[in-house]
Amino acid sequence: MTVAVAPALRSPANPGSLRAAWRVFWNGGLLSYGALFNWARPSIYIPTLIGGPTFQLLFFAALGSYATHRDPAYFALGNAVQVSALAGVFGMTMAIANERWFGTLPALLATPANRAALFAGRFIPHIVNGLFVSLYAVAFGVVFLGVHFEPSTLGVAALALVVTVFSCTAIGSMQGAISLRLRDGLFGANLLMMGFLIFCGVNIPLQVLPGWMQVIGNLLPFTHGLEAVRQAARGAGLDAVAGLILTELLIGVVYAVGAFLLWSYLERSARRNGTLDVR
Amino acid sequence: MTESLRVARLIWFVTWFNVKMLLTSEFFILTTFLSPIIFATLAFFLFRAGSNTSGQTLLYVALGAGMMGVWSTTLFGCGGAIAWQRWEGTLELLVNAPSRYDYILVGQTFGAVTLGFYGIGATIVWGMLLFGMPLEATFPWLLPFGLAAAVLSLGSLGMLIATTFVLYRHANALGNLLEYPIWLIAGLLVPVATLPFWVQPISWLLAPTWGMEAIRGSATASDPPFFAIGMCLVLAVVYYVLARIILVYVLNKARRDATLALQ
Repeated sequence: MTVAVAPALRSPANPGSLRAAWRVFWNGGLLSYGALFNWARPSIYIPTLIGGPTFQLLFFAALGSYATHRDPAYFALGNAVQVSALAGVFGMTMAIANERWFGTLPALLATPANRAALFAGRFIPHIVNGLFVSLYAVAFGVVFLGVHFEPSTLGVAALALVVTVFSCTAIGSMQGAISLRLRDGLFGANLLMMGFLIFCGVNIPLQVLPGWMQVIGNLLPFTHGLEAVRQAARGAGLDAVAGLILTELLIGVVYAVGAFLLWSYLERSARRNGTLDVR
Repeated sequence: MTESLRVARLIWFVTWFNVKMLLTSEFFILTTFLSPIIFATLAFFLFRAGSNTSGQTLLYVALGAGMMGVWSTTLFGCGGAIAWQRWEGTLELLVNAPSRYDYILVGQTFGAVTLGFYGIGATIVWGMLLFGMPLEATFPWLLPFGLAAAVLSLGSLGMLIATTFVLYRHANALGNLLEYPIWLIAGLLVPVATLPFWVQPISWLLAPTWGMEAIRGSATASDPPFFAIGMCLVLAVVYYVLARIILVYVLNKARRDATLALQ
């Protein structure tokens, strides 16, 4: 006589283990990108993250060169780096705030998943996406608007771009955490996008702005990273722009840590007040 | 009450109702109230960086940035008009109501456009307060006509946008796509003459081009902008007729396929 034996279930990883944290980081990050980033489908992605940046570059290249008589390439490069915020800021806002809007936040927070892994996992897809959008825009600028990179320092420019995109995604995560308490998180994301255009040297050189605007610009992502990209494009080596890149990295880390702390605080506060599901 | 009075009352009521609805949206608060001021500031600084700060230039920038806000509000306010009615479940009721649906849509689009025109006033005040812009109009008596013509043509364009965008499932994505190109092609901050020659005929088909021309012409031009005002009115009629044809087609198709309420 044989007895059917149920296959042994794989024992779940200990939530505190490194393996579980890795799975939450990697699988959770990918799942979050596919499920929560509303724009991750061609019918929205192409008009918003390819078409929009293309016309933004053309608009500011035309406006900037008409108003200031500078080379359109200056404005094209600034905006080509700035458009990564479309993916970084909006993406991270959706990745965090949509948990609440789609009703998955209580289930997510009921799990014993490692919070740092959960939070960090959401970063990676949006950094990659932001880089892709920015690289597309840079390529467009090179082909059509006269953007030029010194071949010898291309690697330095690439490093500065990666750090800038990280830093912009970090402020996006801060906006996402804030959005857990707001009715419309995209309001802040749109405001940030406009703020980058005006405060960060994307179109207007920082030294032209009044002092208080320069202070704000220096506290935002993009300002130092974009300047590093501009200098590297002109041939400046790593020794010349390392300070700018490190400052940009520091700004990104501060925003990322701040966002994580805010998120943790809002989680505790929502549990205490029973407002996890309140919209 | 006569039929025309009833229609006017309906359009007025829907216009006002839509203005109130849009004012509860943080996105529209940003698009209507803040975005024109931010873009005006950006443009003021850019022109100042180019040592171009004459009163005429500042007024040119203020009006252009204001019209950018009008276009954004028209685009996003009208682009999703029918889609929102679908999501909210009111589309079937409105289509089947005794009042003609296109009158309701006219009111809805005019609500968005009228709200958008606040941006022009805001950028003018902003320019005067922060950048010392003088407020002079060469043809002040023509300004109300220019504004009215611009509202009419943009309202009709909004209706055309509402009826065509409904064919695309993600109307907001089209909005994201079309904001910058129209700002550029319509010559709101950069004269159309500086753009490639093949762009200019496209700009002639756009209400923002002539709306801007009508308003700027009244404020800064040496000749009265009668032609631009006329073009606004002609385009308003053309857009309305096109929108009506498309609307009838879309609604008939949706009724035939039983997809009126589908999202």
